[in-house]
Amino acid sequence: MRSWLKIILILCVCCPLNGLFAQNTDHNTYVQNVEKGFISLFKGENANAVKAFEAALAIEPNHYEILHYLGMAYAENESWNKAVEVFQRSIDIKSDNIEVLYSLSVVYFKLNQWENAVEPLQKVIELSPQHARGFELLGKSYVKLRQYAEAVDVLKEAVKLRPNAAQNYNEIGTAYLNLKQYDNAIENFTKAVKFGTPDFADPHFGLGTAYMRIGEREKSKAEMQIYQRLQKNNVDYERFTRLTRVDPNNLEGWSGLAKVLMRQKKYNRAILTLQTCIELSKKQKAPPQTLAEFYHALGQAFINMRYPKLALEPVSKAAQLMPKNALFFNTLGSAYAMIGDINNAIAMFEKAVELDQEQPYYHLNLSKLYQSIGRHKLAKEHQQLYQNLLAKQNKTK
Amino acid sequence: MKVRLLGIAILLFLLTFAFHIEGDAETKENKMLLVSAGTFTMGSGNRALDERPVHKVYLDSFYISKYEVTNFEYYEYWQSLQEKNGKSTKVKPQHTPENFTHLPHIGNWPERAKKFPDHPVVGVSWHDAKAYAEWKGMRLPTEAEWEKAARGYSNNLWPWGNALKPNANTAEDNDGFDNRLAPVGSYPQGKSFFGAMDMAGNVWEWTADWYSDVYYFHSPKQNPTGPTEGSWRVVRGGSWIDKLTRCGTTFRFYLYPTLKTSFVGFRLAKSVEKDKK
Repeated sequence: MRSWLKIILILCVCCPLNGLFAQNTDHNTYVQNVEKGFISLFKGENANAVKAFEAALAIEPNHYEILHYLGMAYAENESWNKAVEVFQRSIDIKSDNIEVLYSLSVVYFKLNQWENAVEPLQKVIELSPQHARGFELLGKSYVKLRQYAEAVDVLKEAVKLRPNAAQNYNEIGTAYLNLKQYDNAIENFTKAVKFGTPDFADPHFGLGTAYMRIGEREKSKAEMQIYQRLQKNNVDYERFTRLTRVDPNNLEGWSGLAKVLMRQKKYNRAILTLQTCIELSKKQKAPPQTLAEFYHALGQAFINMRYPKLALEPVSKAAQLMPKNALFFNTLGSAYAMIGDINNAIAMFEKAVELDQEQPYYHLNLSKLYQSIGRHKLAKEHQQLYQNLLAKQNKTK
Repeated sequence: MKVRLLGIAILLFLLTFAFHIEGDAETKENKMLLVSAGTFTMGSGNRALDERPVHKVYLDSFYISKYEVTNFEYYEYWQSLQEKNGKSTKVKPQHTPENFTHLPHIGNWPERAKKFPDHPVVGVSWHDAKAYAEWKGMRLPTEAEWEKAARGYSNNLWPWGNALKPNANTAEDNDGFDNRLAPVGSYPQGKSFFGAMDMAGNVWEWTADWYSDVYYFHSPKQNPTGPTEGSWRVVRGGSWIDKLTRCGTTFRFYLYPTLKTSFVGFRLAKSVEKDKK
């Protein structure tokens, strides 16, 4: 009898502890999955993020923030309906969460359910009158719903909040175009071109259409030609992006994407893409020339972003791989010149000239540097060579 | 035998609630560094869109802590809360950092305070960080204060300059602390112009401000304190799970203030009293 009592006593002590430990273990698993979800989300591994956040929410279902992150991961995976479902669940828990309301509208917009996007967006801008993205998406939704006058009003607010957003001007232009206010349309499309990246094609189409409607045929034709050229780049961009998404080891895809990004002057993304090209070239044992060209392009991207110091390492590697390539030494010279290391810059430009005496711009670079350090005679000689070679080239053309 | 087992079970039960850190662990002194009053350049014109436009900001002088707040420092606060609650209670005190059982290099609270006293405290929400700062008679830095303390008067990518050297604990390999947290101040070469350590990498740091991607277009030119509303708080500096590109002096990120993760901690700030400027 006494031993039964002891067992009961032990159970009395241990059972609540077991409960406590079980609860802790569950919570630990929740934490582990949330962490896994974040790391996957940051790395762009959205399918893994979905799995991890789902596992976390299966244990603790009422975290409105984690529901939002799960929805974002679904949206990244283009699982729009699932995204809507979890955003709604998040809103049910916290109805005034501005960013979930906004995310929900984004998904409705993607699903072409513009009417559904309007209500949460109106709530977003009511809760947060400085929410530029809210105004922008509401304006775009009104354009899609052909409520052009409302679109203009809302987008003008968006422009106040983000004064240089080309897309907003393009949307306002589109609304005015449909309201047949062509002067206003042209004014806004022109601003869209001014503030947009050089690859932004849409406002040129808008301008082309507006000029056509007011009878300015030549101007319309010119704008449409620009539009078509830019569209080609954008098509290439889409094609290479798709290639790299389907096959992440496709070097040709990454290389093509890097070229398009450099052409579009999107240097930030070009740098990341070129770094991938370099890694893949090494893994796939690509010819040294290919690897060298990637290093060189990476250096050029850094130079274009005005980080010449960062360009030195990749361009030096390119020059080591292809020591007879004059262009690589010229780029190295430019990087040294930009950081004020004149001696090294001159040495590199001289090497470029030594390897290719027919390129006028290498002489021009040397001439400028010699001028800057007071070696006028040498500066003059190279200036003369530059002019002669340039004239020769023009004649050949 | 059974009596002995019973005794052990009761002892284990009591020990669960009786953990106590010794107060004499060796830790680095977390000095407050003076950031002198003046105008600096905030944001970037050629990086992420939310860093635009580049703009000048005047800040009054302020202090910023040299290091991220450590486990050791936070433990002192946590212990005071526990004492307030009464030690025998099973309820965890408010502002208890999250456990990371699956990450042995971080581990559970409060054990990790003893095991890794010099590591930055993680698993703390924005509310925890704010409460700690207030308990210390200080506050969280504003986003502008954070950026000035990290970049000084330069346009450098990272607090130490533009070199891609492993001067910070990031996701890049071979930085000395791969896939784990580093004790604060492990990268003296990575210090900022004002002497603050680990402003790139190790842990993201909560700032006082709400996040808005267009705030820089409209922020006050003097002592900006962030938007008046939002869903997310700004975190800065990147962490041990991030690539170096996310650890830049101008890079902005945002998280829900309630989140307690293994990659977010904080540092402290304090205004300089007017007559001491």
